Amino acid sequence: MSEYLPLLIGLLFLSGILVTVLYPIFKQRLGWVLSLIPLTIFVLLLISLGDIGTQTIKLLPSDFSLLPGIDFAFRMDGLSAIFGLLITGIGFLVVLYASWYMKNYNRQAHFFSYLMFFMAAMTGLVFSDNLMGLFIFWELTSVTSFLLIGFDHHLEKSRQAALQSLLITGFGGLCLLFAAILIGQIAGTYQISEIIASGIDFTAHPQYQLIFILILVAVLTKSAQFPFHFWLPGAMQAPTPVSAYLHSATMVNAGIYLLLRMHPVLSGTILWKYSLILAGVITMFLGAWFSMGQKDLKRILAFTTISALGTMVLLIGIGTPLSIEATLVFFIVHGLYKGGLFMVAGIIDKSTGTRDITVLSKIWKPLPATTIFGVLALISMAGLPPMLGFVGKELVYVAKIHLPGISWIILPLGVGANIMMVAISLTIFVEVFYTKSKKPAIPIHYTEKKLPWYFILGPGVLALAGLLLGLFPAGLNQVIANALFVTKNQVVDVHLLLWHGFNEILLLSIFAILLGVIVFVFRKPVTKFIRLTIKWFDIYHLPTIFMNVMNQYLKIAGKYTQRIQHGYHRYYLMTFFVATLAITAFQINWNFTELVPLGGFSTIRLNIVILLMVSSLAVLFAVFSMSRLSAILSMGVVGYGIGLLYLLYGAIDLAITQFLSETVIMVLFVMVIYYLPKFAKLSNKRSRIRDIIISLAVGAGVTIVVLHSRALNNYEPISNFFTENSLLKAHGRNIVNVILVDFRALDTLGEITVLTLAAIGVFSLFRFTIKKESK
Amino acid sequence: MNNNNFKNIILENIVTLFMKVMVIYSFYLLLRGHNNPGGGFIAGIIASTGFIFFAIIHGTKALQNIIKFQPQLFIASGLSLVFIAAFLPVIISKEILTGLWIQTKIPVWGEFHLGTPLIFDTGVFLVVIGVILTIVISIMEVLKWN
Repeated sequence: MSEYLPLLIGLLFLSGILVTVLYPIFKQRLGWVLSLIPLTIFVLLLISLGDIGTQTIKLLPSDFSLLPGIDFAFRMDGLSAIFGLLITGIGFLVVLYASWYMKNYNRQAHFFSYLMFFMAAMTGLVFSDNLMGLFIFWELTSVTSFLLIGFDHHLEKSRQAALQSLLITGFGGLCLLFAAILIGQIAGTYQISEIIASGIDFTAHPQYQLIFILILVAVLTKSAQFPFHFWLPGAMQAPTPVSAYLHSATMVNAGIYLLLRMHPVLSGTILWKYSLILAGVITMFLGAWFSMGQKDLKRILAFTTISALGTMVLLIGIGTPLSIEATLVFFIVHGLYKGGLFMVAGIIDKSTGTRDITVLSKIWKPLPATTIFGVLALISMAGLPPMLGFVGKELVYVAKIHLPGISWIILPLGVGANIMMVAISLTIFVEVFYTKSKKPAIPIHYTEKKLPWYFILGPGVLALAGLLLGLFPAGLNQVIANALFVTKNQVVDVHLLLWHGFNEILLLSIFAILLGVIVFVFRKPVTKFIRLTIKWFDIYHLPTIFMNVMNQYLKIAGKYTQRIQHGYHRYYLMTFFVATLAITAFQINWNFTELVPLGGFSTIRLNIVILLMVSSLAVLFAVFSMSRLSAILSMGVVGYGIGLLYLLYGAIDLAITQFLSETVIMVLFVMVIYYLPKFAKLSNKRSRIRDIIISLAVGAGVTIVVLHSRALNNYEPISNFFTENSLLKAHGRNIVNVILVDFRALDTLGEITVLTLAAIGVFSLFRFTIKKESK
Repeated sequence: MNNNNFKNIILENIVTLFMKVMVIYSFYLLLRGHNNPGGGFIAGIIASTGFIFFAIIHGTKALQNIIKFQPQLFIASGLSLVFIAAFLPVIISKEILTGLWIQTKIPVWGEFHLGTPLIFDTGVFLVVIGVILTIVISIMEVLKWN
């Protein structure tokens, strides 16, 4: 079954393009049609879970490569299966959810197009078996998430948040590119499976530090780790379906995925272990701490996401099989509850018009089903039984306790973060859902009966999945074991249990819950204190600092650009000519013994001499003419002279082109000349002398270069190849045309693109002046 | 410049004829381009020369009436043709821009080849027409040469 996977990923991309065509047909039902594709992939992955046994990795090589060694080969193993299942499963729910959420937006087709592209890129990322392919998908997720976050682009905040996330994740993407190149250079291949199979010890390689740091930056930026975490809360400007998708199981987890994928290659060093643990611990605690001080439901969720990501990075840093197991379980847990909670936040936002938890209250009455799903997700977030969150959290504790050496610092911070999670879950529950709070009930725009069922389906399915998996966690054993085999390269028996019996871990959990309740009871002073600390930190408000640095950078860049791009055409030309002359003169002086090669000329033909004389006379006339028209006409004579030269040497196509373009240019000149200001001598004598010297020198330089080039033949000229193969392989007798449309078609493609750009430039320039005049 | 002031019927008719000849000739050049002097680029310039002369005498409005489409549409369709020709080979797992050929024997004519380079060349042809017309019409509109 899994052979169809690349096809389906392609179909995802295609659906992104086809949205434009499909939207007019399906209108509001578009989401239904589009959701079928991720659903298909989800089902396919479920079926093929049986296919891929514990220790098999299914490679799906591709015939098509972008460049040698860079292709879109895919792989199917336990790790990508877990990520793929969550991406497509939640993707399916999100598309359905969005089809109602976005119904009042103007640019729905755009939205679905971006969303499908993002989904495709994300799916491609986790299944790619080529490092370069992975990088391409990685960057695609950055670009498409930029479009999604900035979807409300009429708001400045949205634009800024989108730009911020693009710059940060894009920077990380560049680091990933360098790391991929370095790894590829060392291993001699970009295929991840081959790199792992080659058994090269990267950790002992002298460039290991560099590779690791590059990968680390990529991960920290993508997964919103400290100190790059600030783009994630900013990204809450996106429409809620986007947040639900990007921050539950996709975008931000790409970094986690990369770490797990690179684990067999790069892990095991002190550097790996401690830098990941450090980043993870700080992020985990900071996220939890800051989330308590927020009022906006989505921002609270954003900070808890940061905290959860920190936990995962920390666990990967610990690196024991147990901790990796905990990472994988926690990833699933987090994807399920965070996706659900974001969607619940969206539902509440739609039905009440606000997300402020100080205003919201008594949601239970109008939105009973939503409340049930939301509370289930909250229980999972707090890590209480019987949800999967409990299983995950217990595993995390186990992994942290069994860490030799530094568990005394990590464990308290971990418990601290968990206390915060409990307190936040309780706070949200009481402030938003609970019926008996003292706050007045909030006015409702939509009661649940007015909402379509597929709008509430998403959180429902996710919450129930969390509950079911929590009750029967053994169902995940095989899947996690498969993924563990890929990351740790060893077979580990996985036994997930909801109830471990009464032990130290359970005591820790109870302790955390109790403290969480205490924090919740005293939440007013606590949040006050936390807000105070946030205020202290505001001196180092990272988003502002980041924007300042960016603005400063732009200012400096602008200053230096203006120095080079001054806007005077004549000085551009002068710079260009002088620089070219200097470089060629240096080269000629360096490489050749005689400056001007004389001799070896073929016999001089009389007709060419006459032609050249006429052309030269025309040039002289153009220079000294006092009328524009005659100057232009004489330049035309020069142009036609060149065309005749082509003709005399048998290049008919060139000659025709030259004549035609000369004609068109002449016509254009004559057309505008009427409107030009009167001819006047504006330059003084000094600049004229300077110009004469420059032009004479350039002329002499070009002549010398041409004379030299006649005698130079370092390589066999490629024209022989063209002549031999033109008719045989390209079925054409006109070599010039065959070169244009077949041998060098890529060049032509580039040229006509440039032509188009020029036309667009001229068009917009003139349109602008016409509009200005008519005002 | 307003051409209502001096109407020259002979010139107008000659230019109309000239344009038609140029356009037909350009198709001829486009089709023969692979084996004889010609090709999309040259054909494009020839056709647009005809259009330009027509526009100079009749004004841009008349030209727009004759070609029906915005010149930008030429560019767009030309670029799409080029991309189609470029990516058709990808579908059958070949490199981008590989030439695909159909070879048949037509009675009278003899050996006959038809391939993606012709689509490509047609794309180039349309782009060149579109670019030149866009530039010229933009300039002429600024000059109020309607």
